[in-house]
Amino acid sequence: MTDINATTTGSASLGVAGAAEHPAVTAQGAALSVRHLVKQYDNASAPVLNDISFDVPAGQVFVILGPSGSGKSTLLRTIAGLEPIQGGEITMGGELLRQAQSAGKLRSASASDSTKVGMVFQSYDLFPNKTVLGNIMLAPVLVQKRDKASVQAEALRLLERVGLADRKDAWPHELSGGQRQRVAICRALIEHPQVMLFDEVTAALDPEMVREVLDVILELANSGQTMLIVTHEMAFARAVADHVVLLANGSIVEESDHPQEFFDHPHTERAQQFLATFTYDRGQRQS
Amino acid sequence: MRGAEILLQPGVFPRLLQGLWVTVWIAGASVLLALPLGLLVGWLMTLKNPAVRVIMRVYLDFIRIMPQLALLFIAFYGFAQAFDWNLDATGACVLVFVLWGAAELGDLVRGALESIPRTQYESAKVLGLNSWQTFTRVILPQALRRLLPASVNLVTRIVKTTSLATLLGVVEVIKVGQQIIDANRFQYPDATLWIYAVIFLMYFIVCWPLSIVARRLEKRWAHD
Repeated sequence: MTDINATTTGSASLGVAGAAEHPAVTAQGAALSVRHLVKQYDNASAPVLNDISFDVPAGQVFVILGPSGSGKSTLLRTIAGLEPIQGGEITMGGELLRQAQSAGKLRSASASDSTKVGMVFQSYDLFPNKTVLGNIMLAPVLVQKRDKASVQAEALRLLERVGLADRKDAWPHELSGGQRQRVAICRALIEHPQVMLFDEVTAALDPEMVREVLDVILELANSGQTMLIVTHEMAFARAVADHVVLLANGSIVEESDHPQEFFDHPHTERAQQFLATFTYDRGQRQS
Repeated sequence: MRGAEILLQPGVFPRLLQGLWVTVWIAGASVLLALPLGLLVGWLMTLKNPAVRVIMRVYLDFIRIMPQLALLFIAFYGFAQAFDWNLDATGACVLVFVLWGAAELGDLVRGALESIPRTQYESAKVLGLNSWQTFTRVILPQALRRLLPASVNLVTRIVKTTSLATLLGVVEVIKVGQQIIDANRFQYPDATLWIYAVIFLMYFIVCWPLSIVARRLEKRWAHD
């Protein structure tokens, strides 16, 4: 699992189950479409997200960058249905997923709606009262009403893929942070979400564990899973992205279909400034 | 050491055991009734509704501020007379201990529910669980684990506080002890220490296992 070259060869397997049962994943056109999204808290003077629009084609990896407070996590949370939106709409495969509610209430999602989006958080959010297998199997059995035996078989296949088959009966507290995040990824994938959201999933990890989690995400990207990734790992963003979006103060400042070019020659001053914060110049050191 | 001989007198030990049974019965009945009520109170305390919040706040504070003895007197002398209830002393005790236990347990339940991180609710929601499924499958199991050690301690407090029932005339273990001491004042003038030592041991035998259980659970579930 620690070698990218090794993982890419077996790439198709992680997402293949989802792709087969949900044609939308492989269909052409936008898997996820965000139109004029506005998110504003009641007590805030300025919106957190101001008129955001973009399309994520099926199978694409969208990387969202930006300084803290730019609204990138909030953007993922609105797509996941964790935050009501005050303007615009979000559609998935042409069907309305979220829209602004005058009452500020979230539209109650049907069971099939609610499993279209998978999300992995920064904090280790496995359910501590369930084993690894129990965590992964809970939602497909309870929400999607799928057959227990086949869910278990798929759970074991997913764990095998992320290199944790031998930890299937472990409790979350017995796992390292990196292992927990890999289990969390399996727990989201087993529902065959059309879009996966990753919200700074390695931000709370020790540097040595970051790699094992990012390798899993990279393999997932190669399998054709549509995903939105918020990350501060610039080297990883450069390696995985099909499309880069830079968010600042709730607006898209710059975006590009050519990640290499974006990282090497950003057009806007804001992007140059942002990317410069990740590099250090030996010249700054006074000898 | 003549006082110790009173313990061997026929009838003394069985009578103390009868008294202990009354103690355990009041405590047991109170705890059994307080458990479901406490869970309900705890859930009500987490609600955002301002009216419910105020009512629960007043209820908890009233029960906490009032000495248990005062509550017992209010229930036995005040309520029974004012509303013409046929409430006997044991009933009044159970009523007070249930109200007290439910308030304290409710506060523990509230604390346990509120200590569950928000991300637990959020990850359940993103996985598609509805609020009932989230509560029963994810939140409540975790809350109960955090709750158990403290609630076992609450049970031992209820057991000990039943001694106040004496003052309403309930013949529980303390009262039985006093009766035995009084009845034998001339024959065994120094029996007091021995009788109370036995009563101490009886309370100890009832409460000690609970303490052990609480400590075990605390250790086993410390990692959550």
